[in-house]
Amino acid sequence: MADDSPASHRRDPIKSSVGNVAAQRRRQKAVTVGKERRESLFRAKRLCRVGATGDGDVSVEENDMITDEEGFLLDAQTSSAVGELKSAVASQGKGAMQKRVNALRELRRLLSKSEFPPVEAALKAGAIPLLVQCLSFGSPDEQLLEAAWCLTNIAAGKPEETKALLPALPLLIAHLGEKSSLPVAEQCAWALGNVAGEGEELRNVLLSQGALPPLARMMLPNKGSTVRTAAWALSNLIKGPDPKAATELIKVDGVLDAILRHLRKADEELATEVAWVVVYLSALSNFATGVLVKSDVLQLLVERLATSNSLQLLIPVLRSLGNLVAGDSHTTSTVLVPGHEITDGVIKVLVKCLKSDHRVLKKEASWVLSNIAAGSIEHKQLIYSSEAVPLLLRLLSTAPFDIRREVAYVLGNLCVAPTAGEGKPSLIEEHLVSLVQRGCLSGFIDLVRSADIEAARLGLQFTELVLRGMPNGDGPKLVEQEDGIDAMERYQFHENEDLRNMANGLVDKYFGEDYGVDE
Amino acid sequence: MAMVVDYKHDSSFPYWTSIRRRFDPDSPFFSSGNLERELLAKQVALDLTEDERNQLEKMIDNDARGVFCPIVGCGARLTSLEDFEDHYIARHTASCSVCSRVYPTSRLLSIHVSEAHDSFFQAKVARGYAMYECLVEGCDLKFKNYKGRQQHLVDKHKFPTSFEFFNKAHPSKKKRLKNQQKRRMHKKDEEASSKMEVENETIDGLVSAVSKLSTSDSSPSNISFGRRNARGLTFVPRSIHAPREKK
Repeated sequence: MADDSPASHRRDPIKSSVGNVAAQRRRQKAVTVGKERRESLFRAKRLCRVGATGDGDVSVEENDMITDEEGFLLDAQTSSAVGELKSAVASQGKGAMQKRVNALRELRRLLSKSEFPPVEAALKAGAIPLLVQCLSFGSPDEQLLEAAWCLTNIAAGKPEETKALLPALPLLIAHLGEKSSLPVAEQCAWALGNVAGEGEELRNVLLSQGALPPLARMMLPNKGSTVRTAAWALSNLIKGPDPKAATELIKVDGVLDAILRHLRKADEELATEVAWVVVYLSALSNFATGVLVKSDVLQLLVERLATSNSLQLLIPVLRSLGNLVAGDSHTTSTVLVPGHEITDGVIKVLVKCLKSDHRVLKKEASWVLSNIAAGSIEHKQLIYSSEAVPLLLRLLSTAPFDIRREVAYVLGNLCVAPTAGEGKPSLIEEHLVSLVQRGCLSGFIDLVRSADIEAARLGLQFTELVLRGMPNGDGPKLVEQEDGIDAMERYQFHENEDLRNMANGLVDKYFGEDYGVDE
Repeated sequence: MAMVVDYKHDSSFPYWTSIRRRFDPDSPFFSSGNLERELLAKQVALDLTEDERNQLEKMIDNDARGVFCPIVGCGARLTSLEDFEDHYIARHTASCSVCSRVYPTSRLLSIHVSEAHDSFFQAKVARGYAMYECLVEGCDLKFKNYKGRQQHLVDKHKFPTSFEFFNKAHPSKKKRLKNQQKRRMHKKDEEASSKMEVENETIDGLVSAVSKLSTSDSSPSNISFGRRNARGLTFVPRSIHAPREKK
């Protein structure tokens, strides 16, 4: 920091205004809040800042970085708002209802102002029991709505804050019923979605309290924000790891039909949330996967992949396709048969994903292709002769690591015949020779050099294919040209014994004392 | 379409098999997509700046975990897989200037140089000193011969039985051709028992002289190593005596 040159001598800018100082403080706070902000961004919970019905009476603060003083003030206001609510709940007679709604509204505004609502202050002041009371049956809709909204935002933050909602759960679930007004039901679904997003424990509580059937029913209508919120809440509710909820969901009357309907016709926002439901159904429940594969869902997923450009939608749709291919051999053996139109459609949309700019799409599309390439010889031939291969070869040399690893799986799978019982799988020489001639070997040798165990393993396995399977004994020469020997020799001092043995074995077998002697 | 069917029954290598891979929804495989979901859902409401977006993308990419260097004894923490290659080249490619063998640490390289190219080392070995160091850093045990050290590595440190510190190197083709030429020239001198290379001719003589210096016992020990046809002290070149006199 020692800098003596006068030119760099720092002076506070004379023109510093209050705005500048405030901005500076905000930026500082932003750095420290950084971690907290990141955690809140990545949570599967969502704050409700604007009313479900587009309520315009909340002025959402543009600047979320509140200073310490402002935070302190907010906490104080919250405590007093809870105090107001307490007396409102206790009061009776004329005007009591209005008093309650006003107090709730004030608390709700305070809990919706910023990205980090004063939840701790609210809980400390005893908000939960009061809010539970406000949810009692027969309460006016406005009161139910405001109370549920407060609970939604209390549940949107830290784990212990979400857990505080336990006493309110039975009532929130009850207000999902078909007799409730839509905005109320939606707000309750939102709160429950946040609770489900917290973790397995709370999910199990909700499931045992019967949250699933009413939420499922809310997903049946054709449109509306309620359908979307219910779908999102369901995706949090069934995400496991226990597959029971997913299996239960697909069995609910009308759910499969609604899923197909929404995938076919709904706007992209709703289709996105429904696609996430399909993601969890297909990842967790074999029963649900079986049901889905026998329906039209694959065709609908392909259509969405072909027509949409919204990353938000493409991610769950692609993953659903991937899960259905991975989860049930029936998919590739019976539905995605080479020669069928739908199969060509699938390859086409996967190619579209490979061409996209988004890492997630490229990686997961490669994964899906690798599973199709793990099918029959005809599947391998189909992919081999498609537009996918040139793209994959390019990705193998230029893409980020996690994509390269998946691409490696595709290319390798194209070179070996389907596993038929015991013993070494046989090679598909035509594919191997062509891919090696087109330069894929260096990409695989790169993987051998990687610090990632799985990738290194793939690299060594492919190297073995080349050493063994290239005609005219060309394998060793080709591997040497790509510095393969050097890459394998690195493993002598590697801590992983399996990789060491693999690498040493190949070097000993193909590059022994006699290697190169005849030349 | 031709298929190559290989009849060799080598079952120890895990051959490539094409199988479907399925992942649980909470598998790390899906985490970048999951994070992207949450970000996209909130970014409209939260108005993320360009900078923040890039930062978060980077976090998603690197999984914020980093990776540990897998070379035995290193344990260095690298921020990403992409960094590993740079780290490896910087820290683990110590190469021997005499025979081009490469070692992952400078310590191992120096052990190799002593054992393979240093006649002083051989002299001490011949006199019964425990010169062969254990390769594991911090162990500090020394052994009188290569085999003894080898056994210790296998027994105590679980090295594979096939491990050879002084192994058959597989240098590049250019080097191989050069070595082949050398080998043909010195074939007559080759001692079958020892694999040790000592290439410099004059060092031979030096060693004999040194061994004489280090003990009071003046009777010539039966030193024989390398490919030189060492027939004891009678072949020490006169020039070797000169330095001694200068002292």
